[in-house]
Amino acid sequence: MNEHEHNHEAPVEDSEIVSWKKKLIWSWVLTIPIAIIMLSERLFGYEFIEMPYSIIAILVLGFPVIFIFGWSTIRSGLRGLFTFYFNMDSLIALGTVVAYLTGIFYFTGIVQDYSGVAAMIMAFFTTGKYVEAKARGRASSEIKKLLELGAKKSRILRGKEEIEIPIEDVKIGDVMIIKPGEKIPTDGIVVRGESSVDESMVTGESLPVEKMKGNPVIGATINQDGILYVKATKIGKDTFLAHIIELVENAQGTKVPIQKLADKITSVFVPIILVLAVLTFANWWFFSGDLSKALGVGVAVLVIACPCALGLATPTALMVGSGMGAKRGILIRKGEAIQTMKEIKIVVFDKTGTITKGKPEVTDIYSKVKEDYLLETAASLEKLSEHPIAHAIVSKANLKKYKKVTGFSIVRGKGIIGKIGIKRIVIGNRALMNDEKIKYSVFEKEIVGFESQGKTVMIVAENKKVIGALAVADAIKEDSSQAISQLNMNGYRTVMITGDNELTAKAIASQVGISEVIANVLPEDKAKKVEELQKEGMVTFIGDGINDAPALKQSNVGIAMGTGTDIAIEAGDIVLARGSLLGVVQAINLSKATFGKIKQNLFWAFAYNIIAIPLAVAGVLHPIVAEIAMALSSITVVTNANLLRRKKI
Amino acid sequence: MKKIKLTIEGMHCASCAGNIERSLKKVQGVKEVSISLMLKKGNVEAEDNVSVDELKNAVLRAGYKVSKIE
Repeated sequence: MNEHEHNHEAPVEDSEIVSWKKKLIWSWVLTIPIAIIMLSERLFGYEFIEMPYSIIAILVLGFPVIFIFGWSTIRSGLRGLFTFYFNMDSLIALGTVVAYLTGIFYFTGIVQDYSGVAAMIMAFFTTGKYVEAKARGRASSEIKKLLELGAKKSRILRGKEEIEIPIEDVKIGDVMIIKPGEKIPTDGIVVRGESSVDESMVTGESLPVEKMKGNPVIGATINQDGILYVKATKIGKDTFLAHIIELVENAQGTKVPIQKLADKITSVFVPIILVLAVLTFANWWFFSGDLSKALGVGVAVLVIACPCALGLATPTALMVGSGMGAKRGILIRKGEAIQTMKEIKIVVFDKTGTITKGKPEVTDIYSKVKEDYLLETAASLEKLSEHPIAHAIVSKANLKKYKKVTGFSIVRGKGIIGKIGIKRIVIGNRALMNDEKIKYSVFEKEIVGFESQGKTVMIVAENKKVIGALAVADAIKEDSSQAISQLNMNGYRTVMITGDNELTAKAIASQVGISEVIANVLPEDKAKKVEELQKEGMVTFIGDGINDAPALKQSNVGIAMGTGTDIAIEAGDIVLARGSLLGVVQAINLSKATFGKIKQNLFWAFAYNIIAIPLAVAGVLHPIVAEIAMALSSITVVTNANLLRRKKI
Repeated sequence: MKKIKLTIEGMHCASCAGNIERSLKKVQGVKEVSISLMLKKGNVEAEDNVSVDELKNAVLRAGYKVSKIE
């Protein structure tokens, strides 16, 4: 069902372009003869057809241009006038119909003939709409590519047999077979085979990722060199790609605050112009006594005003910007974020999983007892915790059997406590030892030594006596220092926040080039620390989105980092599909560039209307010139938005 | 509260999106409306008792058509 709908979606815009194109061609086929008749009369005084007959010819030729090919515009415009839901069409409809009627009323002798102008306005309007629709299509091309990225079919294993089925029929648990060069149909886990997979289309990660048994793969990514057998784990609306699409689509509906004024003006624009056109007409008629001139000026005012440029300024730029982001794994969830981004002064990083890989490993063991005993004791307790450090200790011990633990409890941000038999075991940091009144001063030298290398130390105590310490190190991501040095260079104040102790935190921070560290912060206090920093300037917080959700929310722009299929979509204003911190630099650059484009667009749209409308009122502009200017103004805005792609992000 | 996604036909200018927003907001129980001209889609947040037909009619009143509801 879902797939079918997606297939159906893409042609909507295309059909719009096609229909404008058809109208455009037919309009000009009929309008060019009109133009020749008009120009030869007015410019050269040569009459192809004698005077009253030429008007009849223009009326006959112009009728289909306005009332057949322009019918959708006329109908929507007139309905707008009657229902008070005015739109752009209302202005064009009124302008063309009034101009056309002058041709008929010419025969009553009260006005000059303007009917040729009517057809030309409609033809130019149609042309403008066609070009604009095409440019709008281009603006959304990346997003549309994303919509069409999903696989259509899947080859699955039924018993021993390989069969090909439509993607909608794939069920969770089905084993899919993906040959080299093929698209992985849906999210899953590799059960057999080894290959590298190109995930760039979904995460923006340019290097292929090695996959083997047990590794998760993302639907719509491309298998490169080996055959993969993948068990489907997510289908339909639950897949990574579906989430990304939903996020990107929803973002288009969000507002960028700077657009508010333009939206307000757009909503009252058409009625104001209608009134203005009537007043202009009345004034000209009253003061010059020339009804024909007054009508011409009135029509010019109607067709020159362009709410479209104002209304399109922000959405088109946002569309192009978020498309560029999506291609690079940067997902803008809220339009507001790109406006706030330019005010950001302080960039706060969470340590674990953001600057570091978030996969700590035990590197050193310092023990007063037998090492095996220490590890067995520690691992038996840590087995019950979900913390990354716990995983590190458990996998280091690599036991077949664990001791039975009773009375287990987790002290958040500090450690764990439990009983093995009658022995009370406490594993944790200094804070926990202090809370439990356990003396660890004999270990102090070793602990400090490990910490100054950026390692986290877990002290193990048995019955209030320390028996050893485990040093855990979490490797720094390859490009963390590059990203942070770029931010430092661009004048941002970079800060690292962590639950680790000061010494460990500072060691890591200095390796990546961060001078400011806020250490010993409990998970629930991160948001408070962000709030304190906000007193000194706007803050963007970068975290994993799972533990850091409150801090992400508290910050002015929350950037949530995802890795692979684990993506916390609700958490950030901007979501990075790829785990690299370079994405943060790109997200900042992209936001600034997009916002700059929006400002530029709004400036031009306002400037155009502020200059053009008074000129039309003053009667300086011929209605046809007015119409061409109007069409160009909205085309310029959309084309300018497309130029955003030239920016290097 | 529920969220409804509409696909809308016939929008071709910026004031169109504004008109649809205005019309939908007049429906009792509708809390939030955002219309994307670029994607020809709209998100509506409304009380549970608001029927889809009410929303459809509101769009129709403004002169546009709902082609799909999710």
